[in-house]
Amino acid sequence: MRLMSSFDSVKSALAAAAPVMAGYVAIGLPCGIMESQIGLNALMAFIVSVTFYSGAGQFMIDGMWLAGSPVASIVASVSFVNTRQLLYSAGFAPYFAKTKKWLTFLFSATVTDESFGVNLSKFQQGEWSAAQATFVNLFCMFTWGVANAAGALIGDVVDIPTAIASFAMTSIFICLLVSQRFDRTAVVVVITTMLGVFACKCAGLAGPAILLGAVIGMVCGLLFDRASRRVVHRGAPDAGGEAR
Amino acid sequence: MSLQDFFLIYGICLVCMLVCRCVPIFVLKGRELPAGVQRALNLIPVAAFSALVANDLFTPGMFAAGLWPAAMPLVAAAVVVVVAWKTRSLVWCAVAGVVVYAILLFL
Repeated sequence: MRLMSSFDSVKSALAAAAPVMAGYVAIGLPCGIMESQIGLNALMAFIVSVTFYSGAGQFMIDGMWLAGSPVASIVASVSFVNTRQLLYSAGFAPYFAKTKKWLTFLFSATVTDESFGVNLSKFQQGEWSAAQATFVNLFCMFTWGVANAAGALIGDVVDIPTAIASFAMTSIFICLLVSQRFDRTAVVVVITTMLGVFACKCAGLAGPAILLGAVIGMVCGLLFDRASRRVVHRGAPDAGGEAR
Repeated sequence: MSLQDFFLIYGICLVCMLVCRCVPIFVLKGRELPAGVQRALNLIPVAAFSALVANDLFTPGMFAAGLWPAAMPLVAAAVVVVVAWKTRSLVWCAVAGVVVYAILLFL
């Protein structure tokens, strides 16, 4: 019985992971091709993919590397972009209050944008265990690793223009941006971040442009948020009056 | 750059990644984040992805070589925005982006 139920739970984890896995094959191949362009073989691409395990991060390293960015700029920009993982990790904390440490570590070390979305909605629906969530992560991670290794193999044989392969990355970033929840603060962040990145590049700071631009946007967003909170606070009695 | 440089970048990024992924879930077990920190964290994804998109699409003097070479990625990006908005699918966005970009490139 117990074996059967654990088999079922793995099966339901696989079903939940399947759409993400299909996506990772499609995105992992071009990522692997770019990795072969910077000199990684299939085994290295696999190892990097199942340890670092970040689509956006791996595309960024490859893209910035091919653009000739300095090591420090690549590390700072990639690590900044990956700080969004803090948010995901914090989001899962309530569901792991009673989970064993090694499982919590294995789970949290293998969270990505997509598996975060899948697992969080499953936890919110209830009937979802830490083990199942970890299986979702591992299925996706293994698929990502294999797709990257396959891409690195293909990349040695086929020569796809970098401009086209890297537009796959731009498209993924656009999708991740459009998928965010948009309120007025988010719009302020988008506009000021983009202006910030462009201004940094104009000022000759192309290397840290991603990091600086995003920090500028976040600061503007927080200031706007605070200002609009004050306005709402002051205007509250009037607004209440109108509503009545 | 050498592979040694790559593994330096990979190593540091991996450590930062593991800290970001693993520390909050252990520290916060059963606790809530302060509201201010939560607000700042909420803005990270929007800021990070905006910066990445802007970095790929906008360069000073991009129109120097004529209107089309600079406008072409913007047109492809606009198509991807529509696909992203309609499907919310990374795969369809990547496919649409690459196909439209390749078609425009060879026009």
